[in-house]
Amino acid sequence: MKKFWWLAVAILYLVVPYLLKGNSYILSLTVSALIVAGIAVAWALLGNLGGMISFGHAAFFGMGAYASALLTMKAGWPVLLAIPAAGVFASFASLAMLPALRLSGPYFALAILAYAHIFRIMATQFTSLTNGSGGLSSIPGLPTLIEVDFLTGLGPYLLGLTLVLAFCLIYARVRSSYYGIALRAMHDSEDATRVVGVNSVMLKAWMLMLSAFMTGVIGAFNAHIINFLEPDYAFNGSWSVLPIIAAIFGGYRTVSGPMIGAIVIYMLDQLVFKSMISTGHQIILGVMLAAMILFAPDGLMSLFKKRKTGDNHVEA
Amino acid sequence: MSELILQSLYSGVLVGGVYALIALGLTLAFGTMRIINLAHGELVLLAAYIAYTVESRFDVNPLLALPIALVVVCFCSAIVYFLVSCIKRNRELNSLMLTFALGMILTNGVLLIWSSDIRSTGNATMQNALQIGNLYSMVSELLFFVISLAVALGLGWWLSRSWYGRAVRAVSSNRDAAKLMGINPAKVELVSFLVAGVLATIAGIAIYSSGVISPPLGHSLTIKAFIITVLAGVGSVPGVIMAALLLGITEAMTVTLLSSALQELAGMVLFLVVLFIMPNGLFGAIKRRG
Repeated sequence: MKKFWWLAVAILYLVVPYLLKGNSYILSLTVSALIVAGIAVAWALLGNLGGMISFGHAAFFGMGAYASALLTMKAGWPVLLAIPAAGVFASFASLAMLPALRLSGPYFALAILAYAHIFRIMATQFTSLTNGSGGLSSIPGLPTLIEVDFLTGLGPYLLGLTLVLAFCLIYARVRSSYYGIALRAMHDSEDATRVVGVNSVMLKAWMLMLSAFMTGVIGAFNAHIINFLEPDYAFNGSWSVLPIIAAIFGGYRTVSGPMIGAIVIYMLDQLVFKSMISTGHQIILGVMLAAMILFAPDGLMSLFKKRKTGDNHVEA
Repeated sequence: MSELILQSLYSGVLVGGVYALIALGLTLAFGTMRIINLAHGELVLLAAYIAYTVESRFDVNPLLALPIALVVVCFCSAIVYFLVSCIKRNRELNSLMLTFALGMILTNGVLLIWSSDIRSTGNATMQNALQIGNLYSMVSELLFFVISLAVALGLGWWLSRSWYGRAVRAVSSNRDAAKLMGINPAKVELVSFLVAGVLATIAGIAIYSSGVISPPLGHSLTIKAFIITVLAGVGSVPGVIMAALLLGITEAMTVTLLSSALQELAGMVLFLVVLFIMPNGLFGAIKRRG
């Protein structure tokens, strides 16, 4: 199994760029798919380990995008330093949501949705800093690294891929660590877990902050690729919705599921669904999400896997 | 200035009446099945667009769309119920995502059928100004406020007096015990979704008659209804009405005193403040939620 993963990573780094470099349209779609994949992994981390369904990851995405854009444009930070800093900002922004951790299920989901709206409205209103709905233009792009410069446009792909794979690695590490075990126990009984001395709120808070950090980094990465930001774009609901569908589709309880799901869903959406129905193509995504929840809530990948008895909750 | 404030109070109360209907539908479904129907606002939207079609096709008062809208919306509500009841595992979170997906399907369905243009009624009698003292409103606003209140009170009566209403409350408080008493919970849950559909239909026609509609409206109505249920706490009809009026007034006041761009923000902030300070809602029973 491990050999298979190494092979897959090698293909992603060596073979795929070679195939993509001729077609700049497909290449840019792939980069966008990787962006969705990054959020999907962050969402899955919160959903699977933290047990919290979020409809508001757009809040972190937009926060990261704006933080990085402002750091590079107004404070003159180099792009590669601003991107992780944006993640830290998003992580801090998630601290504002800590009170929401007391809430379970639907209440948390809706509270975080409310936060996303609040952030969007604030980005529109603070015109002095964010230029409101006029948006920020000419955000500095990613620096061109010498060795990938000759493969035009491949820099973003390689950086995006590295980010997403790093997120997958973090997700896998956390899941198999002590914290992962505690979080898994929390799924079965939060009260019992607290009794044996696990600070469940603290653990959930860490998961929320980690998830926010990842999403913020991805948001910043995206901002430097498209070089333009406005509130309705940066905090758009689709940054929350697409990753959910992707993660559910690929199976958010597995490590590779969200990433694979994101690439498949995004490509299908852009290349197939959009050409079928131009305005309301999200209807197909809705149907797919509903069907997944009804027939395969653990993701399509899980259908092919052998079911381990009694352990279909969190797999370590 | 005080006239302006009185006027916005009045408008807020009128809007609040319609909000109450939407929130009551959401609460009913939550009571019996313990799920938040995130597609509820989209059902309201659907009713509003049916009213638009009936009005523009036959050139009649949008109120006359009621029968056909009732049939369609209740049918959709029943479908939501059947799909949700198919979920066996981890129902709380999975139903949330399922109804979210259904909401997406409905919104985009509306978008495909009716396009993304903004629609509003062209009916003159509904849009006429109506003056009470120094306060102004449209005929339709006051009319639907009265209708909403009557329907809400009727719902309260139905819940406390009729057999089915009592069954709904019984299933809400203890599903297993209700089953032992000879109530078929599945049937009661279906009834609660149908009643929620009726409430959504009336609210949808009200919203179309007194304002503008566009496809994204459904989503924001769902959020508003959810905010109201949180403000009200778990389950009483008067509590939901009070919370709905509070939200309506807060929004109207924000628009008058600050800016119309902050209207939605006001509701959200109210929601978060209540959620964190009084997690049981303003009028709710003491019950652990976290």
